[in-house]
Amino acid sequence: MSTPAIQISDLTRSYGRDRGIEKINLQVEEGEIFGFIGPNGAGKSTTIRVLLNLLFPTSGSAQIMGLDIVKDSKKIRSRTGYIPSEANPYPDMAAREFLSYSASFYGVPQAEKKITELMDVFDVEPGRKISNLSSGNRKKLSIIQSFLHSPGLLIVDEPTTGLDPLMQSRFFDLLRSENLRGMTVFFSSHTLSDVQMLCRRVAIIKEGSIINVEAIEALRKKQLKRIRIEFRDRVPDSLAGLQGMEKGVTVSGKAMEFIYAGDMSSLIAALSGKDIADMTVEEPSLEEIFMHYYN
Amino acid sequence: MNKSIFLRELRGNAIALLAWTAIITFLTTATMSLYSIFLENNVKIMAMISILPEGALQFKGVSNVNDLFSVLGFYSANNVIYMLVLGSIYSIVLSSNILLKEEYGRTAEYLLSWPVTRGQVFFSKLAVVIINILVINLVITVAGYISLETCKKEDYNVDAFLIISLFTLLLHFFFAALGLFMSVLVKKPRPITTLSIALVMVLYFIYTISNITPDLSWAGYVSPYKFIDLDVVNPAYRIDPVNILYFTVFPFLLIFSSLRIYLRKDIYL
Repeated sequence: MSTPAIQISDLTRSYGRDRGIEKINLQVEEGEIFGFIGPNGAGKSTTIRVLLNLLFPTSGSAQIMGLDIVKDSKKIRSRTGYIPSEANPYPDMAAREFLSYSASFYGVPQAEKKITELMDVFDVEPGRKISNLSSGNRKKLSIIQSFLHSPGLLIVDEPTTGLDPLMQSRFFDLLRSENLRGMTVFFSSHTLSDVQMLCRRVAIIKEGSIINVEAIEALRKKQLKRIRIEFRDRVPDSLAGLQGMEKGVTVSGKAMEFIYAGDMSSLIAALSGKDIADMTVEEPSLEEIFMHYYN
Repeated sequence: MNKSIFLRELRGNAIALLAWTAIITFLTTATMSLYSIFLENNVKIMAMISILPEGALQFKGVSNVNDLFSVLGFYSANNVIYMLVLGSIYSIVLSSNILLKEEYGRTAEYLLSWPVTRGQVFFSKLAVVIINILVINLVITVAGYISLETCKKEDYNVDAFLIISLFTLLLHFFFAALGLFMSVLVKKPRPITTLSIALVMVLYFIYTISNITPDLSWAGYVSPYKFIDLDVVNPAYRIDPVNILYFTVFPFLLIFSSLRIYLRKDIYL
C-alpha cells in the first residue's frame, strides 16, 4: 500500500479565543484530486498554512508523503507546489524575474524554457512589473510558480479567484494533465462547482472541524433529494414539519419545493391520498448538499 | 545561507545603501571642509562658545572646549550626529524590515513555501545586513580619513580615529541586532520603521540628557551611546574592554534570540 500523500491526525491549531482548526483527521491518497470545501473562515487556509509550516500546530500531527510537516518541512516543500488564495508576488520584480527567482530554489532543470512555456499557456507578459499587474495576472504567476518544479503534491487555496473563464479552463486542463502524470492535488475552495468538476473525494470543513469526507458521487447520491410537488388544490398543512424535510422549504401557491433527507417510504406515505398534480425528484446540487451539512 | 535570497536582498538594498552612504559621506566631508574657517575665526567662536551652557558641549561629547580646535576633536564633535545617529537609523531600519517585509508584504507565503529553511532565510538576510553596514562604515571611515588628512594643520592620533570608527561600526551592528530582534517579536505583520527610528532617537536623547544632567548620569547606561567614548582628543584614549564586551555580548544575544524566535514563529498573513 502506498504512503498517503497527506495524512492528518488530530491536528489542532488554536488562536487564543479565536477559532482555528480542531482535531482534524484527513487522509489524501497519492494521485487523487482531493477537494477541501467550506465557507470563508471555516479553517481551510489555516489547515494549509499548518501543512506548509507557516503556522505551527497546537497539537496533533500531519505527514506529507510520509514526512513530518514540522521536522521535514524543507524536504516536503521541495516536492510540493502551493498556490496561495491571495496572489501577492514580489511587487518590485518583473513577472519573469519572479518566476526565475522561484525556480532557483528548486534547481529546476531547463527552468527558463519551462517558464517560457507556462507563460505562453497563461498569456503573461514577461517584462511587466508585478506592481503593475492585475490581480488575475498575479494569480497566473502564482499558478506558474507552483508548477515549475513538477511537484508531487500541489496545494491550492481558492485558485480560480481572479481568473477569467478561459484561464480557469487552461488551469484545470493543466491540473488534470499533471494529475494524470501522478501529481496529487489538495484543492481548497468555496467554489463548489470547481470542486465538483475536478475532485473525486471531498472533505467538508465547518467551524474548524471536518464534518464529512465523502466521494463526490456518494455525496450526490446520499439520500438527499430535491423534491418539487404541485398540488391540484392548496399545499396540505399536514406536510409542514415532516421528518427529513430540510430547512428552506419554499411554498408558492399550490407548489412546494424542498430538500429531503428522510426515508422515502415515509414521504410517500405522507403524500398518499393527497391530490398531486405533478411531482419531480431530482439530485440536489453540490451547493444544496453542502448547505445541508453546513446547517 | 541561500544564494538566491542573499543576491536578491543585496540588489534590493543597493540603492538605499548608496543613498545613505552618499548622504552621510557628504555631510561628513562638507562639515570637515568648514574646519579651516572654524580655525580662522577661533576668537569669535571662543566668544560664542563661552556663552553656551556647559551641557551644550557635552551634548556633542566635547569635554574641553579647546578640543574643538584639534582636527580630530572637530571631526568627532561635528560628525557624531551623522555617523552615530544617522548610521544607526540606517542600520535599524534595514534590519527591522529585512525579515518583516516578507510578512507584511505577504511574500512569505511564497518564500516559506519554497524549499528553504527559516535558518537559511535568517542568515541570508543577516549576511546582507552585515555587508551593508560594513560597506557604509568602510566608505565613511575612508572619507573621514581623507577629510582629516586634507584638513589637518598638525598631526592627530590616527589610532583614536580608528577606534571611534570601530565603535561606530559596533554601534551600527548593535542597532541592526536590535532591529532584527524587534521585527521577530511583531505578531501582526506591519512595518516598524517609525518605531525603530524613534527608538534610536530616544536612546540618543537619554544618553545626552544623562551627560548634561549629573543626577541622571546612571540613566545613560540604558543607551548604547554611553558605551562609546567620544573624548578622542584625550591622550589616554584607548579601547575600553568593557565597551567591547558590551558591543559583542548584546548584539550576539539579540541575534541568537531573534533566530530562536524566528525558527518557531507563526507567520500570520
